[in-house]
Amino acid sequence: MINNFPWLTTIIFLPLVGSFLALCFARKPMLCRWTCLWVSLADLFLVAWLFTSNLQWHSWSTGKWLLAEDHPWIESLGIRYSLGLDGISLMLIFLTTFLTVLCILVSWKEINAKVGTFHFFLLFLETSIMGVFLATDLFLFYLFWEIQIIPMFFLIGIWGHEERVYATVKFILFTLAGSLFMLIALTGLYLIHGAKTGLYTFSLYQLIQTPLGLSTELWLYAAFLLAFAIKIPIFPVHTWLPDAHTQAPTAGSVILAGLLLKTGAYALLRFGFPLFPVAARFSVPLLLVLGLIGLFYAAWIALAQKDLKRLVAYSSIGHMGIVVIGIAVWNTMTLSGATLQMINHGLTTSALFILVGMLDERVHTREIPNFGGFWKKMPGFSAFFLFFAMASLGLPGLNNFVGEFLVLVGTIKTWPLVTWLGFTGLVLTVIYILNVVQKTVFEETRNEKFREQPLADITVREVLILAPLALVVLFIGLHPQPVLDLFEGPVGILIGFLK
Amino acid sequence: MQPNWVDILPLILLAGGGFLVFCLGGFWKGRPQGLLFGVALATAIAAGAAAVLLKPAQLQFLKMVETGGYGRFFTFLLTLITTLSLLFSYQYVKLRDIGGDEFYGLLLLSGLGMILVASALHWLVFFLGLETLSLSLYVLIAIRKHQSASNEAGLKYFMMGAVASAFLTFGIAMVYAATGKMDILQSLSADVQTTSHPAMLLGLSLILIGIGFKVSMVPFHLWTPDVYQGAPAPVTAFLATGSKVALFSALLRFAFYYTRNSVWNDYVFVFWILAFLTMAVGNITALAQVRVKRLLAYSSVAQMGYLLMTLLAVRGSGVFAIMFYLAVYALMDLGAFGTLATLSAEEEDIDALEDFRGLAYVHPWRSSLLTVCLVSLAGLPPTAGFIGKFILFRAVLQAHFVVLAALGIVTVIVSIYFYFKIIVALFMQPTARKTVTPDLDVFARVAGVAILVLILWLGLLPASLLSIITRIVSSFSL
Repeated sequence: MINNFPWLTTIIFLPLVGSFLALCFARKPMLCRWTCLWVSLADLFLVAWLFTSNLQWHSWSTGKWLLAEDHPWIESLGIRYSLGLDGISLMLIFLTTFLTVLCILVSWKEINAKVGTFHFFLLFLETSIMGVFLATDLFLFYLFWEIQIIPMFFLIGIWGHEERVYATVKFILFTLAGSLFMLIALTGLYLIHGAKTGLYTFSLYQLIQTPLGLSTELWLYAAFLLAFAIKIPIFPVHTWLPDAHTQAPTAGSVILAGLLLKTGAYALLRFGFPLFPVAARFSVPLLLVLGLIGLFYAAWIALAQKDLKRLVAYSSIGHMGIVVIGIAVWNTMTLSGATLQMINHGLTTSALFILVGMLDERVHTREIPNFGGFWKKMPGFSAFFLFFAMASLGLPGLNNFVGEFLVLVGTIKTWPLVTWLGFTGLVLTVIYILNVVQKTVFEETRNEKFREQPLADITVREVLILAPLALVVLFIGLHPQPVLDLFEGPVGILIGFLK
Repeated sequence: MQPNWVDILPLILLAGGGFLVFCLGGFWKGRPQGLLFGVALATAIAAGAAAVLLKPAQLQFLKMVETGGYGRFFTFLLTLITTLSLLFSYQYVKLRDIGGDEFYGLLLLSGLGMILVASALHWLVFFLGLETLSLSLYVLIAIRKHQSASNEAGLKYFMMGAVASAFLTFGIAMVYAATGKMDILQSLSADVQTTSHPAMLLGLSLILIGIGFKVSMVPFHLWTPDVYQGAPAPVTAFLATGSKVALFSALLRFAFYYTRNSVWNDYVFVFWILAFLTMAVGNITALAQVRVKRLLAYSSVAQMGYLLMTLLAVRGSGVFAIMFYLAVYALMDLGAFGTLATLSAEEEDIDALEDFRGLAYVHPWRSSLLTVCLVSLAGLPPTAGFIGKFILFRAVLQAHFVVLAALGIVTVIVSIYFYFKIIVALFMQPTARKTVTPDLDVFARVAGVAILVLILWLGLLPASLLSIITRIVSSFSL
């Protein structure tokens, strides 16, 4: 049963159905919200069901996957509609569906204008992100990779904050600049493979085995790496991120930080390294250096931030720096750590953005100098804020610690200096996070107006959003083994590509 | 050999329809807009149906017009362009009192000229088709005779057209002098004696310049923004798509025939430079534009640049790529200019970028269609423009022009900014415009839906069209 029904296609395109329903119900905002909520919950249950259906490894024509689909699409160009699921993509699509449900709940009160169009773009975005995580045909992957930019462009540009147009145009130009060079490299790889073997195909499984000359491989890898580096983001092509994250509406920031950045990291380990193993080896020192710079630079700049959302955005750069280090070192421990850290970062940063959004709804500002004393006025909110801030700085027992620890301990054999510097960078992370927690939650506010103003504590809807996140964070922090078990198989296969 | 007249039924239908429209306009009481439009529309649809459904007995008609796969493909595409332009223009010309037998009749005759240009096998037929197409367009562009912009545009197009025709005639004459043949295939693939070689080169260069004027190749593109801006929007739509498609298909045919000649390799670099300049100048100048019609004009110059780049690959899969992209380009540009036509107020066409602000919330359906066309022009999925650009770059890379492809991609990145500038104005800025826009009539609605469906269908399921084109290309021998 599980083999014949196109589960993966259903999971990818169910949100698209929901998005069109949202457009149909555009005149009735509440009906629109409820419909989209039910559709995204249905998708979440489908993915959760996959967890429990005891999937086994099979060898398909497109490689070893837990679940796969493969249909002809544009035969004359060698493009096929191929999807593949393994442990890594399963966790990532679970994260996608989970965060989308949360986004719809978060936007319940926040988005009041053009609700139908908002949910159209949100669910369209979900479809495209899941397509990126599941595609195993390079052209299909590229198609989804490019499509995800369009709904994000509209989400930031229409429902964002003051500088939204500048932020969204910067976002789209940066991302497309990288992607379009990747298109050339992708086509080049396809043509070289076709010329050498006579088989013109975009299948990842076939293209991995292409024999490439060193300089060709370096150029192709550089184009791919540029596209992924802009997405992840890696210093110095990260400058689009603070603006995009800050100006996006809460749901937009959650998806951007929680998912879009992960598509870059995922693509690097699924496509970048396996397709160009020799070139990837060459790039390892560069990636390590840039990852570390990202970590330090982000912490440094975050310390100076007055805008809370911008601070959380910079923390994203820092955390993704650890992920990049993990991928670059490419051994079992660090790859498991990096993939786990992708999930962890998705959860904690999304929670932080949601909390900032809730704060923004109440006090209509994101400026840290205005904050203070929330512990007394909004104890529930502050408790969650403290919890997720601790998770973000890597408190043992919570999720980020596991990922960071695995990555840094895994690098100590081959690059001990990186481990040393990485831990120092994490200390800097602790500094700026504790600083902002103190200023926001504990210290009394300097702003006279705020001192008097009564603030509503956390509502039931908000608890419904934050509690599941907190539970998952706690679960992964205390008992990460089930998740790591899921990663074991795929990580083993990926390690094999660079022998 | 008995000529089989049924083979050129589309041409006969268009000519007959055009004359019928003129006769009705002349002799029927009043100028019945509906009737004239109906006759014109019926003619265009019938001609398109004839191109697709009738399989000609022979692959050419009297060795003058090609009736094989290539000719039929472009006949269908050009009649589709004519039909869609007619649909977009009905309400526009009725409201501004410029409709009537001149408009519809000349539109049909221009379409006839375009088909002759695309399927010509004889230099004189090519020239006749070009003149028919141009003369009709001279009048169509200037048809808003009380508006100075329209008259100016018509005059500019006429001057450019006259110069282009002069170059072409001289070029054809030189080619004839060098080879002694007026048949296109024979004259281009002839083995020219060394004494006639300079004459042949001169002739070919002049022909290239003449065609270059018409397809807005740099540096012969300077007329494009002024004419596109001044002409009434539906005429711009027709001009921007139809004449470009027709002339580029002819250029493609000439290049394909000429590549049989070993001299092609020596002059590829000329096309390299022209393609690069066209892409670069088109995209970079569009960045500075604040008037949307001019912006779209420069963007169509750049689109021609991408096609010129692919022309270098004409020996490989270039023909396949160009045929697909011409179809896609026609749909995108028709959608863009046609939507502009429907969004225009009576006095003046919508042009300034400020007038587009917030339009998505006043006219959501038209703005969405315009957005889809712009996204397709930018080359983003899930539109046909994405598949088209991919196929173009694949052909260029396959022919080993890696540097040109990389430069082309840089210009594509540049173009993203100005296409999205319009989308930003439509969706992300508060409404500024006070003028009243007429409601969308049923014909424009049908055209809009057709273009939207085709762009998305070709973007997601292009396999059927691609296999048709592959079959045509493999049998392309004339």
